[in-house]
Amino acid sequence: MKKKNSILGMAFFGPALVLLTVFLFLPMVLTLVFSFTDYFALNPELTHFVGLENYFNIFKDELFVKSFLNTVKFVIIIVPLQCIGALVLALAINKAAHCKKYFKVAFFVPVVMSLAVVSTLWMQIYSPEGILNTILGQFGIDAQPFIHSADQALPSIAIMSVWQGVGYQMIIFLGGLQNINPALYEAAEMDHASSWQKFKDITLPELKPLCVFVFITVTIGAFRMLVQPMVMTGGGPDHSTYTIVYDIYETGTVNWEMGLASTMAIVFTVFVVILTIIQNVLTKDREGRKHGNKKAKAN
Amino acid sequence: MPNRKNSIDKTGQEAYDVIKGTGYFTGNSKATKCKKEEGGSGMRKRILCLAGVLLAVSCLAGCQKKDPQPGEVAGYDEGEEYLSIWVHSIEDTEEGQAYKESVESFNEAYDGKYFADIEFVPRNDSGGGYSDKVNASVMAGGLPDVLTVDGPNVAAYAANGIIQPLADLTEEEKSAYLPSIIEQGTYDDKLYALGVMESSVGLYYNKDILEEAGIDVPDADHPWTWSEFLDILEELKPMMDEMGGYPLDMTFPVGETSIYYFAPFVWSGGGELVSDDGLTVDGYFNSDKTIAAMKYFRTIVEDKYMSEAPIDNLFESGRAAFKFDGAWEVNTIYNSYPDIDLGVAPYIVSDDWQGETYTPTGSWAFAASSETKDIEGATELVKWMSGVDSGIRIWNMTKNFPSTYEAFENIDVFQTDENYSALYNQLSTYGHPRPKTPVYPQVSTCFQETLESVALGGKDASSELDKAVERIDAKLERYTRE
Repeated sequence: MKKKNSILGMAFFGPALVLLTVFLFLPMVLTLVFSFTDYFALNPELTHFVGLENYFNIFKDELFVKSFLNTVKFVIIIVPLQCIGALVLALAINKAAHCKKYFKVAFFVPVVMSLAVVSTLWMQIYSPEGILNTILGQFGIDAQPFIHSADQALPSIAIMSVWQGVGYQMIIFLGGLQNINPALYEAAEMDHASSWQKFKDITLPELKPLCVFVFITVTIGAFRMLVQPMVMTGGGPDHSTYTIVYDIYETGTVNWEMGLASTMAIVFTVFVVILTIIQNVLTKDREGRKHGNKKAKAN
Repeated sequence: MPNRKNSIDKTGQEAYDVIKGTGYFTGNSKATKCKKEEGGSGMRKRILCLAGVLLAVSCLAGCQKKDPQPGEVAGYDEGEEYLSIWVHSIEDTEEGQAYKESVESFNEAYDGKYFADIEFVPRNDSGGGYSDKVNASVMAGGLPDVLTVDGPNVAAYAANGIIQPLADLTEEEKSAYLPSIIEQGTYDDKLYALGVMESSVGLYYNKDILEEAGIDVPDADHPWTWSEFLDILEELKPMMDEMGGYPLDMTFPVGETSIYYFAPFVWSGGGELVSDDGLTVDGYFNSDKTIAAMKYFRTIVEDKYMSEAPIDNLFESGRAAFKFDGAWEVNTIYNSYPDIDLGVAPYIVSDDWQGETYTPTGSWAFAASSETKDIEGATELVKWMSGVDSGIRIWNMTKNFPSTYEAFENIDVFQTDENYSALYNQLSTYGHPRPKTPVYPQVSTCFQETLESVALGGKDASSELDKAVERIDAKLERYTRE
């Protein structure tokens, strides 16, 4: 019986395993191996093992450091905006008396659109004679360069990304909101709790696990920023929107330096993994405390 | 062909998707645990081994590319030499169709001797897709006999042994092509590639505006110098301000466009970006000539002769007197903006110009891969694909300039239309290929970045160029170390 089960199990699991091995695990291992070589895409035969040289070199590379910092900047702008924005939208829609469905769809539409399409669209919105500058003009504000200025390009792209992505997290929060037991609110109303108190003491604690999930997904998503700057600014002006993933792409496919690009990818992955572990540890801590509280209450 | 406009980058999206796919983190730990507890039977190992073997076999079978046998492909008959050819285009496009027709006519002409089999490999504007396939084939084998290469990449492909020199051409055959085509395809004194397309950039002007301002345009051999051009821009400025426009419609876009349009400013002053052997940039890329060109662009921006942020269709809507753009702009204006009275002025030159070649050139070309066993046949195919008939075809179907004198002579519009004939004249007399160096992508990127940070960002030209030289040198190391 046990044997039969394992054969059956393998039959289901096998194809996925094969595909994962070929398209995921193998490339990951190869990336790690390449990161210690000077593998050059146009001339693979000349590949040498160079040890940790690549790892030292990329941190000496101003551009890599800059792209790293840019990516962090993106994360710092996007994460709070998108998490809080999603929560606010979800709360608003949850409260809305009319046209709930309409708003849900309206905020979700950008999520299903291709990033490249959204980026092209926003290039028009941000253009010097575009709709945004026209509106600003109505209020007597001078035309802003937006994506054409080294100072404004990064925030402009970050805001666009928030607009594009926020609908997804909103739907997650909406689901969470609808799962909260209405009895909790009824009890609170009996105690004459204000709406702020209800939000602070019921809604937020109930949504906490979701908040953590949203926080982690948005953070990782923001770290992977590539398409928006690629389409809208090409990493410019003056590298102000050049991100790590963009640097990896350029190094590997445009300049053919696969070894160096692999090193960057490994460093980037390790960084994101460490960040995820930290976030996971923090989450566990909180859940532990929550359980502890419950136990204390039970006692 | 350089980027025309910012376009949606397919490879970018693909790369993004790949990363997206690997980045998942929400592994279901419970499920993994269950499997672990259940596992450990030898059966599983055996099946795993089997799966691995199957996979390896199927991979090998998939990668091993064999030439088809006669009869397997329509038109491929017994006794013919099979030649495969890759083009960087989609079959449904006009460019793809033009290549297809050229291959078909080759097969007719060489019936019984050669059979060329065309494969279309789509690419995006930055060259991804197609170059990915080439890169993969370099590693795994399976390059075709003939492939297309972007002009500036000839050096890198040649230096790394991806393409091989063509069989000897006679002087007569060589002289059929514009000099810029031969120069573009030559690396280390050997001819590697011949293009069917050539390209040029024009300094376009709005005839109505210049007439109103009373400005005369010089002939091709006496172009405006930088100082003269600045005076003209200054003269036009009040008039253009009134119209809500700028004297000059110019941008420094990311991608190949910037070096393609603006490297001529360096060349016309007698400068070069890279040494002749393509292996030194210090003293070239950061020379006084390059610094002077960069500073000139800064002046244009500082004096507000152009808009710092790009405005779409400034020239096309009649709000700019001048514009630098590819030769395709003539066709665009004729078809979509008939109200604009278009003229082509000679490309402006440095005050130190001595009559040397300096105007933009270059496009995709055909080359024989290092894997072809029949270099004679591959060369025949390259010659045919880049020949007169193919050139006329490419013009008729795509409006890309042909590459041979005879093709230009056989296309009426280059004789009758003043703008097209001006561009042809500029190309054939003053065409200058882009730098020939195996690290061309880095040179191109650095040029654009420096231009942007100096002209738009107002940074110091000399130190920015020095920084760029350091970056290019780091890439050159691969070729210069013993």
